[in-house]
Amino acid sequence: MIVYTLKRLGGIAMTLLLLSIFTFTLSRVVPGGPWMQGAEIPLSDAQVAAFKAKYGLDKPVWQQYLTWLGNAVRLDFGYTFTEPERTVTQLIRSALPYSALVGGLAATLAISAGIALGVVAAANQDSWVDNIVTSYAVFISTIPSFVLGFVLVYFFSVRLSWFPAGNWGDPNDWRDVAHHIALPVLAFGIPATGGVARWTRQCIAEAMAADYVRTAYAKGLQPTGVMVRHVLRNALIPMITRFLPLYPGMMTGSLFIEQVFGLPGLGRYFVVSSTNRDYPLVLGITIFWALLIALTYFVTDILYGIIDPRVRITETRR
Amino acid sequence: MTDASRATTESGSQSSAIEPVFTPEGYTEETQYASFWVGAWRRFRRNRLAMFGLVFAGLVILAAVFAPILTPYGYEQIDMMNALQSPSAAHPFGTDELGRDLLTRIVFGARPMLLVGILTGVAGLAIGVPIGVLAGYLGGVFDWLVTRLIDMFSALPWYLIVLYLVMVLSPSLENLILAMIITGWVNSCRLMRGLTFTIREQDYIEAARALGIPRWRIIVFHVIPQAAPLLLWGFAAGIPVAVFAEAGLSFLGMGVRPPRPSWGRMLADSGYYWQFWPHMIIFPALMITLSVLAFQGIADGLRNALDVSENI
Repeated sequence: MIVYTLKRLGGIAMTLLLLSIFTFTLSRVVPGGPWMQGAEIPLSDAQVAAFKAKYGLDKPVWQQYLTWLGNAVRLDFGYTFTEPERTVTQLIRSALPYSALVGGLAATLAISAGIALGVVAAANQDSWVDNIVTSYAVFISTIPSFVLGFVLVYFFSVRLSWFPAGNWGDPNDWRDVAHHIALPVLAFGIPATGGVARWTRQCIAEAMAADYVRTAYAKGLQPTGVMVRHVLRNALIPMITRFLPLYPGMMTGSLFIEQVFGLPGLGRYFVVSSTNRDYPLVLGITIFWALLIALTYFVTDILYGIIDPRVRITETRR
Repeated sequence: MTDASRATTESGSQSSAIEPVFTPEGYTEETQYASFWVGAWRRFRRNRLAMFGLVFAGLVILAAVFAPILTPYGYEQIDMMNALQSPSAAHPFGTDELGRDLLTRIVFGARPMLLVGILTGVAGLAIGVPIGVLAGYLGGVFDWLVTRLIDMFSALPWYLIVLYLVMVLSPSLENLILAMIITGWVNSCRLMRGLTFTIREQDYIEAARALGIPRWRIIVFHVIPQAAPLLLWGFAAGIPVAVFAEAGLSFLGMGVRPPRPSWGRMLADSGYYWQFWPHMIIFPALMITLSVLAFQGIADGLRNALDVSENI
């Protein structure tokens, strides 16, 4: 288990290192930057040089990278180009709660509704209920969240005026916030229910077809007992490993949802800073995201290794 | 009757080129007599969503190819007298705030969508398959390197890397396609590498090796053809993703540049008008959703027809 854990950890560190080299080098090598093309206020060469010296952009790329990496390890991603009074870390810290709240609620909605649908479908396999759930799952997961966002805003904001069409609301009043984020959570969470329902149905259907389930029935056990103790317990393993990464994946924010509803989250900062070519900010957010996602995969891998010893044995041998 | 005759002609011409190696789980009597591809087509045809997808995709492709002939207006043709018209006989999908015909823009908007889908798929295969097959067949340091690359691109959701690349390269349709290729080849590569591991252990490969057939010949004529069905599925599965990417990134302003029409861009550009003239977003939204659904349907149909197992 220790070898397995170390191997996984090493792999993640390697991946992050490669990703940071790739993204960093690209951002420095490609021509163009915040002071070069189409700037609103034309800058003289001397001014550009002064700016470059200030941000250390006049040094060779590898030297810049090492400096950046040294700071990044301590989660210090430098200052942003567009808001020089704030560090990237401060910005991430201020934007993350918004994304985390919307994404966390959306993931919870997707997982709970999806599992419920999947269980119903698996329990009534090949019936009309199953058909409806399966069709729903295919259809709903093909709707892009920003399209659904528009549809929801049209019906619930424009037509019925039940919910506001965007913005966060008063942060000190949780009712107002809830009122404002209801639609984003729905638009973000509903398309994700499709995948959850599909995977749940498949896991449970596979577990129900297993030999030990037939044996349990043959022994004359109660059907509910078989369902809970034998089917669900075994189906849960692949479900947990698949659904757990949904939380960090969605809590780090949705570029599209935050754009549609004008939410002040991480995804929106990412898009805005991309348009402004604010490299430190984009790099910081990218690496921060990669770190979170890699950590989740690490945790699920470890969980999987604990639950299912076959995984870690084959992995270690390879 | 017609089915049977088609089955014999097709199996006669194809079975010699590509052998039916993947034995499907639901192996029935009828598949036993026909070639693998004929059986796959039969299974595909039974899937209603897949057939809808095929018909819809066919229509969209035709519309995109013959767009200038089909549309009476130009996609940049501004007509302020007829701005913000609801759907009518002259403008079946209505007009936007500059009086441009929305049906025309929808038809032309299919072009970037298809271009991204098909180009990224083809280029992904062209790059990913050779690298994947070499990594899987040769193993060693090369395989280690390729695995690290695959890991690197899988560490983030693909659209973040694409967005990052587009930002660095400056936003345009060409750079969007380039970015999609840079991230997309990894999928074909991963698929091909995994397949090569299973294929290379099979008896007929060992037989070929025993006969002294050179390594490149084994790879080109024995390994890759056997992977063809799953590569076809991999190609199809990438298209809905690319459609979504084009719409999404254009929506964020990182894809197709105005005035060239794109469905995602049309959603973003509808500004505040759409709250009063909902036709401005209904049609682009519908086209994006239906296209993703259609291509996803084709991919799912192929998945069943070609029996792609969950583990690959």
